[in-house]
Amino acid sequence: MDSEFIALITMFLVASVRMATPLILAGLGEAVSEKAGILNIGVEAIMLSGAFFSFIVAFFTGNLFLGLLAGIMGGVFVSMIHAVLSIHCKANQTIAGLALNFMMMGLTSFLFLMVFGQTTTLPSISVFSDVQIPLLSSIPIIGPALFNQNVFVYLALICIVVTAVFFYKTEWGLNLHAVGEHPQAANSAGLNVFAIRYFACFINGVLGGLGGASITLGQLGFFMENVTSGKGYIALVVVILGRRNPIGIFAAAMVIGCSQALQYNLQTLGFPIPTQVFTMFPYVVAVIVLFLSIGKSIDPTALGVPFERNKR
Amino acid sequence: MKQYGNFLSFLGIAVLTLAISILLILMVGSNVNQAFFSFLSGIFGSFYSVSEVLVKATPLILTGLGVAVGARSGFINIGAEGQLYMGAIAVTCLAFWLHDLPAIVMIPMVILGGFVFGGVWSVIPGFLKARFGISEVITTLMFNYIAIGIVGILVRTMLKDPSSSLPMSAFLPDSATLPVLMSTTRLHAGLLIALISVVLVWILVWKTPIGYEMRAVGLNPRACKCSGISVYKNILRSSMISGGLAGIAGVCEVSGLHHKLLEGISPGYGYIAIIIALLGKNHPVGVVIAALGIAALQLGSLGMQRMAGVPTSISSIIMGVVVLLILARKSIFRRLLTDE
Amino acid sequence: MALLSMKNINKSFFGKMANNQVCFDLEPGEIHALLGENGAGKTTLMNILYGIYSRDSGDILWKGKEAAFSSPRDAIAFHIGMVHQHFMLVPTLTVSQNITLGLREKGYPFPNRKTLNATITEVSKKYGLQIDVDAYISSLSVGEQQRVEIIKLLYRDAELLILDEPTAMLTPQETEYFFEVLRKLRADGHSVIIITHRIPEVMSITDRVTVLRDGYNVLTAKTSEITEQELSQYMIGRQLHSIHREPILPDVDSEGLVLEEVSLKENGRERLDLPSLRIAPGEIVGIAGVDGNGQKDLVEVILGIRKQSSGKIRMDNVDMSSMSVLKRKKLGIGYISDDRQRDGLVMDMNLTDNILLKTHTDDRFIKHGLIDDRLVWEDTQKAVEEYAIKTPGLNTPLRYLSGGNQQKLILARELAGDPKAIVAHQPTRGLDIGATEFVQQQLLQRRSKGCCILLISADLEEILLLSDRIAVIYKGRIMGIFPNTEDLNLSNIGLMMAGRTPDVREGSL
Repeated sequence: MDSEFIALITMFLVASVRMATPLILAGLGEAVSEKAGILNIGVEAIMLSGAFFSFIVAFFTGNLFLGLLAGIMGGVFVSMIHAVLSIHCKANQTIAGLALNFMMMGLTSFLFLMVFGQTTTLPSISVFSDVQIPLLSSIPIIGPALFNQNVFVYLALICIVVTAVFFYKTEWGLNLHAVGEHPQAANSAGLNVFAIRYFACFINGVLGGLGGASITLGQLGFFMENVTSGKGYIALVVVILGRRNPIGIFAAAMVIGCSQALQYNLQTLGFPIPTQVFTMFPYVVAVIVLFLSIGKSIDPTALGVPFERNKR
Repeated sequence: MKQYGNFLSFLGIAVLTLAISILLILMVGSNVNQAFFSFLSGIFGSFYSVSEVLVKATPLILTGLGVAVGARSGFINIGAEGQLYMGAIAVTCLAFWLHDLPAIVMIPMVILGGFVFGGVWSVIPGFLKARFGISEVITTLMFNYIAIGIVGILVRTMLKDPSSSLPMSAFLPDSATLPVLMSTTRLHAGLLIALISVVLVWILVWKTPIGYEMRAVGLNPRACKCSGISVYKNILRSSMISGGLAGIAGVCEVSGLHHKLLEGISPGYGYIAIIIALLGKNHPVGVVIAALGIAALQLGSLGMQRMAGVPTSISSIIMGVVVLLILARKSIFRRLLTDE
Repeated sequence: MALLSMKNINKSFFGKMANNQVCFDLEPGEIHALLGENGAGKTTLMNILYGIYSRDSGDILWKGKEAAFSSPRDAIAFHIGMVHQHFMLVPTLTVSQNITLGLREKGYPFPNRKTLNATITEVSKKYGLQIDVDAYISSLSVGEQQRVEIIKLLYRDAELLILDEPTAMLTPQETEYFFEVLRKLRADGHSVIIITHRIPEVMSITDRVTVLRDGYNVLTAKTSEITEQELSQYMIGRQLHSIHREPILPDVDSEGLVLEEVSLKENGRERLDLPSLRIAPGEIVGIAGVDGNGQKDLVEVILGIRKQSSGKIRMDNVDMSSMSVLKRKKLGIGYISDDRQRDGLVMDMNLTDNILLKTHTDDRFIKHGLIDDRLVWEDTQKAVEEYAIKTPGLNTPLRYLSGGNQQKLILARELAGDPKAIVAHQPTRGLDIGATEFVQQQLLQRRSKGCCILLISADLEEILLLSDRIAVIYKGRIMGIFPNTEDLNLSNIGLMMAGRTPDVREGSL
């Protein structure tokens, strides 16, 4: 095989993994939430919050890790508002998520202008540098893609494994599943449905916030209005395509990451394919998957339904 | 006692919202009085500004109406944005294809075309829901992005204006342009179309047997099934009308305001429509009031930015906060609302 | 010493006494049946024991000590377990996962499935409860799912097992299998309480039986010392009311409502298997039976809400078998469902809108394609007067009307336009005496006008009051049809309702 071709493929994979990372993180978070029965359309808000607060803190403290923590807290802030509305107030989860998207869009933009004022050049920081893992990163083709990346990529990969173990190998994962499928049965088995759902929303915030932080601290190095540009919605698509399975989410995110990397590469090479084909691509695929899954119920039975304990 | 409590809780929400706005204004270091003054003058300050409120309200009324009609029948339409764009595509294609027709034929045709395109875009998710029980929340959401993508492709390829390097269509022929209602403003006949739609929707939903069926299906599909009302047919009907109205919004924006097809003709109207439907309690009159309110909010915040230095993003924050407070109303004001 | 002793338990819901000074004892190592009709108070009593409801007054002693459980978790901790009618199993998890759900076994949070499975298999083998521990609940039959529920209790060392209508969904073979399990449990020292309405089963498997009726304990006896006839008498215990029901000669010219060998099979289970049945104009045929024996299926098949698997349904010689609900209603079938809030009304709509559920396509209300509000209004006003519906106004949402008035609205709607046939399923459920009498009068009136009426009720007294002929339904089959005469043998009816075909030679019908 042509060594130049191999180098091209390797670079392509590296870019794909980097593009997929925010989707993996946010997707895993949303999968946890949905498994427990809480549908959160406001993933965009969580990511935006994570992106913003991680940047602000990193910019003013000069410490990227503090920024990362701030990103997590920003995400949790949003997801817990959604949690209270969905679990305690038993509100319509779709509207709650949309309202949060509006609010955070406005809030992050507002706070950014407040802090930095109108600037022509965006304030920026240097991002997390790549950390090369010796030996593993020398594996041909996939080595650099998986083992010569920044901390967010490693976090994403670790989270995939941890989530998979959590879902399928632990009692906690079974409890989560029961709460989303048949909360009455879970309740009569002695599980605290409310507590488990709050916890799921918390994780949604942590991972979503990390996903948002990965955009500002891991890729761009700056924040601007609507920096997530729909990645939160694509994360929802990733969760559907991946059927709420961590490996599936990884695969779906990779497919979309590849298409985004392909988009940039083709553009630089001067191909006249409009970028819109690539931006539409994940959604078209998701619709096809929905068509194909007709008849097989893949949603947790209690998804979006508030839980009421029986009266005495 | 319950009525009193209800009123107080909504008053409470208004007060809280006001308090948050003041807080935000103070955070950017602006003068509160100046901010409120410039907010009001941004809306009422001149004849032109009032007309701008109406211009902005036009697509909001139509999309809000669409979402409201869907919601009444149990169809949660998140896809008004995409349906609006499909309507925009419809009017552009029809206008160029049938460019020789006189305005008197062209205008009704493009409105119909917009309704059909928007309706079809919405009835596909409606079918998936009625027949297979697939949630329309996700499908309509995804169709938004597909529609926006299609627009992006069209304005760069088939519909692109050859005389310009920018991705947009050529100007629509005059016959496909909605007349301006007042010469010094941008206010166009789309407003009339919107208001006529309000009346027609009201008649349809509250005065016709079909409208009755749609409302009943939205409230208790099981009782409808036991009474012989077809839940399947009515989900299809309501999704079609819902999307059709959003499609007409797209027609109005292209025909009345921009006079050409380009990206970004909708800064999220389809999503704001969901909030408008909620605020307007899914009723045509409520939708109009809410649409005017949101349009005023947006215009006022522009004024606040111009004259008091408050970023316009405050309007998004306020919109989000108001909805969140409404969702949490029963919990926040629990003591007011329960019987002692 | 009695294992369990419940003394003078009182419990009321919204002013109605569900349990009235009920005393109930359980000896260790016995299988004890709680027998009674719908609404007798059996499940309420057990829910109080299990901690789901709180009693108003009375004492509960478990193993001689005071025991008032405030939640199922407490009851489980004291080794009492209950299997409800609706299983609490997560369909997408396996048997093993469901059984250990909520428990913190060794190695938590990483369950050692192999060890757990071994323990579960041990327990299940001990009592003859064959089950594949790795199977998903959704792939199991109802009988198998019930086994899982029982294993769940045994896994938690339950000494007392309470089973609510355990054979309701079982085939005869599964029922036999189930009885074997019960015998093994008893042999091993466990005690079992079975809530049931089925007398044959009480006779086959129990040691003692307690009969509840209208919230009272009317009998506790050893099963070996009592007969089926006596049990059914205690269970029903009715006295015939004398009611003036004019003898009407059914119209022989019109065919009326006819069901021709209708059967319904769903999910592999037979839900209805009926002989041919004709309801003549001017006749009320009452279908007696305990809830859950196919009544709902029968009603929905006649109305067209569900399609029958075989057989035909005709109204005055018109074959309705493939017609939609709407067409059947237009043919003149009126429907009073057993759950007015779910099936019959839109609670958030007002009176006029609820009447429109039937009339919104009527030409007389539609002018130029629009609903004429004034005509609808007048029509509703007439209905309110005619049926004496108490309401603040015509605009009031239905949820603010009392149950009786809601039912009156349904009557007004369904009886308008002189329907040829009426299907009334539990028409007086949840109504006070006044409203009940009103509904019953209405049905009698329609009968004298020549309407075919099919009355389905779990209230035997009502059936006896109104019907010209009485049929008994049990597990989707008609056990017998008799004319409603003075010398009707009530206890035979009771037996049939509980699953036994009485010996015809014994006594008259």
